Amino acid sequence: MSLPKTADVVIVGAGIGGLAAARELAARGIRGIVVLERDYPGSGATGRNVARIRRMQLTEDLSRVAIACQEKYEQMGAELRSNVLFYRLGYAWILYDRDEVERMREIVAMHARLGISSALLSPDDTLRHLPVFEGGEPVAGSVLSDDAIVHHDAVVWAHLDHLGRRFAGDVAIHPHTCVTGVERDHGRVRAVLTDQGRIETPFVLNAAGGWSGELNAMAGVRMPNRPHRREVLVTAPLRRSIEAAVTFYRPSEGWFNQTLRGEVVMGAVDPDEPTGVNQSSSWSFLQRTAALMTRKAPALRDVTVIRQWGGMYDITPDHLPIVGPTAQLDGWWQALGWSGRGMLLAPYLAELLADHVVTGDAPALLRQFLPDRFRATGEDSAPLETDYYSRYRSRSGTGTTSAPSPPVSTRPSSGNTTSNPGD
Amino acid sequence: MTFTFDGKRFRAPEGEPLAVALLAADRVILSRSFRFHRPRGLMCDTGQCGWCECEVDGRPSVRSCLVPVHDGLVARSEHAWPTVQRDLLGWLDLGSRWIPPTFYHHRFLRPSGLRKLYLDVIRAFGGRGRLSRRPAEPVRPRVARALQVDVLVVGGGPSGIAAAAEGVGAGRMVVLLEAVAGRAPVDLAGVHVLDGTAAVGWYDGVVTAIDDTTSWTIRADSVIAATGSYERVPTVRGADRPGVIGARRVLDLVVNHRVLPGERALLLGHPGDLRDVGAALVEAGATVVGPHSTESLRRVLGRRRVTGAIVDIDGRRTREAVDLVVFGDRTPNLELLLAAGGAAESRDGVLVPILDGEGRTTVPRLSVVGSAAGLARTPDPSAPVGRTLVCFCEDVHADEIHAQVTAGYGDPELVKRRTGALTGPCQGKYCAQAFASAMVRAGAPINGLPTGRPPLRPVRLGDLVASGLERGGRGGRGERGEP
Repeated sequence: MSLPKTADVVIVGAGIGGLAAARELAARGIRGIVVLERDYPGSGATGRNVARIRRMQLTEDLSRVAIACQEKYEQMGAELRSNVLFYRLGYAWILYDRDEVERMREIVAMHARLGISSALLSPDDTLRHLPVFEGGEPVAGSVLSDDAIVHHDAVVWAHLDHLGRRFAGDVAIHPHTCVTGVERDHGRVRAVLTDQGRIETPFVLNAAGGWSGELNAMAGVRMPNRPHRREVLVTAPLRRSIEAAVTFYRPSEGWFNQTLRGEVVMGAVDPDEPTGVNQSSSWSFLQRTAALMTRKAPALRDVTVIRQWGGMYDITPDHLPIVGPTAQLDGWWQALGWSGRGMLLAPYLAELLADHVVTGDAPALLRQFLPDRFRATGEDSAPLETDYYSRYRSRSGTGTTSAPSPPVSTRPSSGNTTSNPGD
Repeated sequence: MTFTFDGKRFRAPEGEPLAVALLAADRVILSRSFRFHRPRGLMCDTGQCGWCECEVDGRPSVRSCLVPVHDGLVARSEHAWPTVQRDLLGWLDLGSRWIPPTFYHHRFLRPSGLRKLYLDVIRAFGGRGRLSRRPAEPVRPRVARALQVDVLVVGGGPSGIAAAAEGVGAGRMVVLLEAVAGRAPVDLAGVHVLDGTAAVGWYDGVVTAIDDTTSWTIRADSVIAATGSYERVPTVRGADRPGVIGARRVLDLVVNHRVLPGERALLLGHPGDLRDVGAALVEAGATVVGPHSTESLRRVLGRRRVTGAIVDIDGRRTREAVDLVVFGDRTPNLELLLAAGGAAESRDGVLVPILDGEGRTTVPRLSVVGSAAGLARTPDPSAPVGRTLVCFCEDVHADEIHAQVTAGYGDPELVKRRTGALTGPCQGKYCAQAFASAMVRAGAPINGLPTGRPPLRPVRLGDLVASGLERGGRGGRGERGEP
C-alpha cells in the first residue's frame, strides 16, 4: 500500500492513542485519515504494558475520569464486536506502613463518594484474600477494589478489525513508515515527511508515545513529557492463585498479577531510571525484581521467569496526559504524555479529543489535559522527571531532592503518599 | 531409592534423572501440552524442551529430566484431569481445528451478564503448576560477582574446548561456561572452567550466568558461542507423541541408564548420526527399522504413545509397527546470537548465523563456532503444513500461522502475538526453525524471527536473588583475574 500524497488527517503512532483517535474521528464522519506507524501496530508501550483498567485512583479528579474510561472498556467489546477480554480480576494496593493505611482511609472514602467499590482490608483479611503474601514482609493492610484487566493486544486488534471493517476507505494504516520531518508554513503544519514519501495535510495528531518528544521537536513544538523505560517479566503459567492485580510502593514500587492464561507478570521499578528512548531489557531489572518479590511474597521464589521486555512510560510533570491542540503550531495536535496510564485513558480521551476536533470546543473533562497548561518555555525539562518520585521519597526519608513544583499543576495538592500509581 | 509420582511409589537408583526413572517404569506420559492437553514425554537431551515438566517436591513445572532422584522425592503431574496418564481434557485435541488461537476474538460477548463467567471458564483452563507449596524459608542469595576477561567461551562441548584452548595458546585469559555440571573437563590447561554455570542472558555485550552459589556478570573482549544444537523434531503430525525421542537421548537411555525406551525402533535421519544409537539398540535387544531419511516420514501413529509410523520408501507408502521413533536431525542453537540482536539466515531450510570468514557474527565481539554455526549435515528441509504442529509449547499448527498471514497479520511479531507461537516455556528453542519455514511457506511479507528476548533459559525467580548489589540492583564492581 503506497502512501497517499495528501490526507485530511495524519495520525502518527498506531498504538492505543492513535488507533482510538482514528476510530473516534472516523465515527464522526472525518475521512482521509492516514495512520503512520514506525514498526507494527501496538509495537510500543501499547504492546508492552499489562493493561490494568483501574477506576480507583489516588485523586478525585483522576478517579472521575477513570470511571468513564473503565465504562468505555466495558462497552468496547460490544461496540467494536471484538472481545478485548475485559475481566474484573480485582486490584489491590498492598500497604506496609501505618501512615499509608491512614492516608488510604481518606482515599477509600473519596472512592465511596464517587461510587467506586474499594475497601480497606486488615492485615489478616489481606493475607486471606492474597495468600501469596504469606510468610513475607508483614503487611499493614491493603485497599482492594473490583477493578479490571484487559488484553492489550486484543484491544489493538479490536481497533484494527473495526477500522478495516467499518472504515476501510477512510482510514489507512501504514506500518513500517517512519516520520523523518515536518513542514511548517506561517505557524501552520503543512506536510509530514516520511521514509516512504511526503504527505500534505492540514492536521497532524502526535500519538507517538515514547517517540512523541522527537516528533514534536521535528515540528518545533516543545512539551514537557519525557520517556522513561519500565520493564516487565513474565513467568510460566500457574493455576489460578492470585486474586487481584497487586501494586505496592514501599520501600519502592513493585507490582504483579496473573494473566487469564495464568502467567505472572511483574516488575520492580528503578527510581533512578534515566530519561530517554529505551526499550531494552536489563539484568539489573531481573535481580531487583527477584529481590523485591521474594521478600514480599516468598511463594513466588519458585516461579520460572521465561521472558522479559522493556517499554516506555511517557511522563509529564503532573503525571496527566497531554491531549488537544497547542497554540505553538496550528493543526498540530497532541495525544501523548500518558504517564503510564495510556491503556486506561486513551480510548475515552480520544472520544473527547474527537469531540473537540469536530465542535471546536474542548469538552469540560478534557480541559485538565489540554497541552497549553504547561508554559512553552525553553527550560522545561531538567527538574521534571525527578519530581516523579520526589514526593514519595521525601515522605519515606530515603530521598534528598525536594520536589520542584511543575510549571502549572491541575492536580489538587493532596499530599499523596505515593507519587504515580501508574500501571 | 523410592519416590512417588501422582501418589504411586517407584524405585530407582540414586541420582538417576526422574524422567528416566519414570520411563523405566513405563510411565511414558510426563506432561500435557498447554492448550490441547496432548500427551508429552521425554524427548530431548538438552533439558530445554519442557515436555517432561512436573511438580517436584512442591516446586511447580520442574524439568524432570534434570532432577536426580532422591529418597522420598514427591512428584506430581500438572495440567491434567484427573491425571496425565488418562487426561479427560485430552479430548480437546480432537476439536483443535475449531479452537484456533484467536477463538475468543469475536466470541463470548453475549449475553453481557455472562462475560465474567466465560472468562472464568477460560481462566480455569489456563495455568499449569501450582504456586509453591514449599514452606516459606528465606531465599539464599547468590554472591554477585563481575568479571572482566579476554575470552569468554559459552559451551563446554568439543568446539568450545577447542576455542578455549586456542585462546589460551594466544596468551589470553579464558573463561569457559558449561551449564551441565561435569560435562566439560575442569582441568583444561590455562582455562577457568565455570562448571555447572548456565549463561542466562546477553545484555549490551555483558553475558550473565548463574550457578548454585554465584550470580556472574562477565565482560569479555571476545565472546565465543559454542552452544551446540537442539533436536529438530520432524515436521509431521504426531511427532510430539511420547516415544518420539532424539537420537542422543536414546543413546543416553540405553548406554548410561540401561533403559530401553522401545522394542521396535524406527530410525530417521542421516545414517552417520544414527550408527551408534542403532548399534546400542540392537545390542540391547531391540529391533531396528531403517535408518530412513526424515523426509520419508509421513505421520506418527498412536494417541497416548507411539504405536506406528507411516513412511514413504521408494515411492511406496508403508506402515511400520514401531513403538519408538528415533530421529537424528538437529538444528543450530541460536539463542545467544538472537538475544544479542545478531542476524541469521535460512540456508537449505536451516536457520544459521550470518558469519564472516572468521566466525564473527553481525554483533561486535560475538563469534559462533561448532554446530551452533551450522551443521555438518543438512536436515530435512520440508516446511510444516496443515495440521502439523509448529510450536509445541502452545500447540500452534502450521495452518494457523498461514491463516494469520492471509488475514493481513503477516508481520512475524504479530503472528507471534496472535498465535502464541514462540511464547511458551521453551521460548522458541524447539520451534524457531519450523516457525521460520512455515512463515516463508505461507508467503509472509516479512521474513525473519521476532525479537529474541532474555533470559536465554527459564530461571527461578529465587535463583536471581543476589547479594552484594547496590541499591536499585545494579551489578557489582568488575574484578579482573581468577574467577
